[in-house]
Amino acid sequence: MIELIVVLSVGAVLFGIGIYGALSQTNLVMIMMGIELMLGAAMLNLVAFWRYLHPEEYSIQMFVLVGMTVMALEAAVGFAIATQRFRTKGSVEMEEASDLKE
Amino acid sequence: MGGNFIIVMNIIRLSILIILGLGAIWFAWRVFMTSSMVRSALSLLASMAILGMMFLVMEAEFLGVLQIMMMATEMSIMAIFMMMYMMDPGGMGNMDMSHQKKLSIGTSLVAGAMVIVAVSFSNWETIATEVPTPAKQNYDLGMELMKRSMMIFETAGTSILVAMIVSTATALPFKNKKDD
Amino acid sequence: MMWMIIGIGCLVSIYAIVVLERRLVYKTWEFGYPVAAFASYFIQENVKPRKRDKTFYETAPILFITVAVLAIGIFPWAESSVIANMATGALFFNAALAYIMVALVMAGWAPNAVYPMIGGWRFMGQLIAYSMPIVMAITATVMRAESMNMMAVVESQTGLWNIVYQPVGFLLFYAASLALTFLPPFDLPNAPGELEGGVFAEFTGTRLLIFRLGRIILIFSLSLGITHFFLGGWAGPFLPGYVWVFLKTILVACSFFVVGNLLPRFRHDHTLEWSWKLATPLALFNILWVGILLLL
Repeated sequence: MIELIVVLSVGAVLFGIGIYGALSQTNLVMIMMGIELMLGAAMLNLVAFWRYLHPEEYSIQMFVLVGMTVMALEAAVGFAIATQRFRTKGSVEMEEASDLKE
Repeated sequence: MGGNFIIVMNIIRLSILIILGLGAIWFAWRVFMTSSMVRSALSLLASMAILGMMFLVMEAEFLGVLQIMMMATEMSIMAIFMMMYMMDPGGMGNMDMSHQKKLSIGTSLVAGAMVIVAVSFSNWETIATEVPTPAKQNYDLGMELMKRSMMIFETAGTSILVAMIVSTATALPFKNKKDD
Repeated sequence: MMWMIIGIGCLVSIYAIVVLERRLVYKTWEFGYPVAAFASYFIQENVKPRKRDKTFYETAPILFITVAVLAIGIFPWAESSVIANMATGALFFNAALAYIMVALVMAGWAPNAVYPMIGGWRFMGQLIAYSMPIVMAITATVMRAESMNMMAVVESQTGLWNIVYQPVGFLLFYAASLALTFLPPFDLPNAPGELEGGVFAEFTGTRLLIFRLGRIILIFSLSLGITHFFLGGWAGPFLPGYVWVFLKTILVACSFFVVGNLLPRFRHDHTLEWSWKLATPLALFNILWVGILLLL
């Protein structure tokens, strides 16, 4: 019981730090780091649920695998966008990306 | 004798989890507080590897080792992209790389607090004490992937393929026909 | 008693690897060389670069040697002696090797100098490219054993070693091990003639000693890996199991140095191109090959 709450609280704090990073940073790569932290916190919670609530349910472990896949995909597509943006505009600062509004 | 041993083991495991969790939080905090970009990416790596160790403590051996392995590559790639695209990768110029501070601090505090409140006031079901052995876990996870959840796993594979194509197509330079 | 023999065996084989490297690369027998090098690095002055990244400068050598030692821990030495009998041993070997890259990226970044940084980033590209064939070759051996436990992998090779069962996988694993230990012809990150020592250029004294010792242990652990994944581990006639493990390991390490003497250093773009365009498809073919053989 205490272990589950401890692990879930760690996940919650990591999620909060991730949100702070994703909202406050101006650089695309730093924003991606915030998102990775949030996904990591989600995976931690999933493993905790598997361990302490349903150790016989393997779909939870499989969901963690899907979460890792999503992390890798997010990184790949994000880096591709960053590369293209740097090539055309010369920077990946998100405050200069307001031209995407139009 | 047996009961005492189990209690001691539980206390040891709980303290290891708390120490690792504090370490993960500390490194996650360092990610956004340092101005050297390689340090920032490697702090994230340390945070994620500590999460992997927490998986190991929670007896999910395959997932823990996989997490530790995948994050090493992913975060090193992140470090080199930071070096390439950041204005001030070494952190020598003391630039402030953040904006909308109040909003983000407020949102993160509210979100974290809400989750913690939800965690501490939920009525958890009975806590499992025994988990299958790692070998059985590997076997059953493989069976799960190949039987019931095969479609989901295949979809994940296909989305990896799509993401590879998309990222290659996006990252290719524009070619102007006049320049050829 | 058993563990003492194994520990002494490890030390003796590391000593033998150093001496044999001197013999095969520089053509001289120097039995005192390991001791002399150890002592000279110990009393050498520690010259530190200005404006270095202090944390990474201290962490990188220790991380390097730690993961090299950790990678040894999962291998069995004889029928029933293994330090960590993990159910995911083969995957753990990969995970440990991935941190070699992290250590070298740190070591390249820390001294705040040009050549080490180029060496570090080069090694990153090289290792990412060559960890694909390693992971896939290990996957094929694990498929045959139907378990990621190293004991099961070795026991699955009784009768027919994996080097005969999946020769393509062995060749890929061998080439990728050369790339991972950055031995010639893949010694791009610390190419002596080109980058003036590369990632190790700014490290002196005890830190350089730890790096060089870690490299020898890394060669030792990858040779152990080849021995266990492809050469049947402790299997062999007449002698006890652990003697065979050490013999095979030392022979594989010697073959690394011989191959390095025969080939010129590859260009960086060629190493990456061959890995992604040639080795990765071949590794997938190897997985298919083993799958077909298993179903027959």
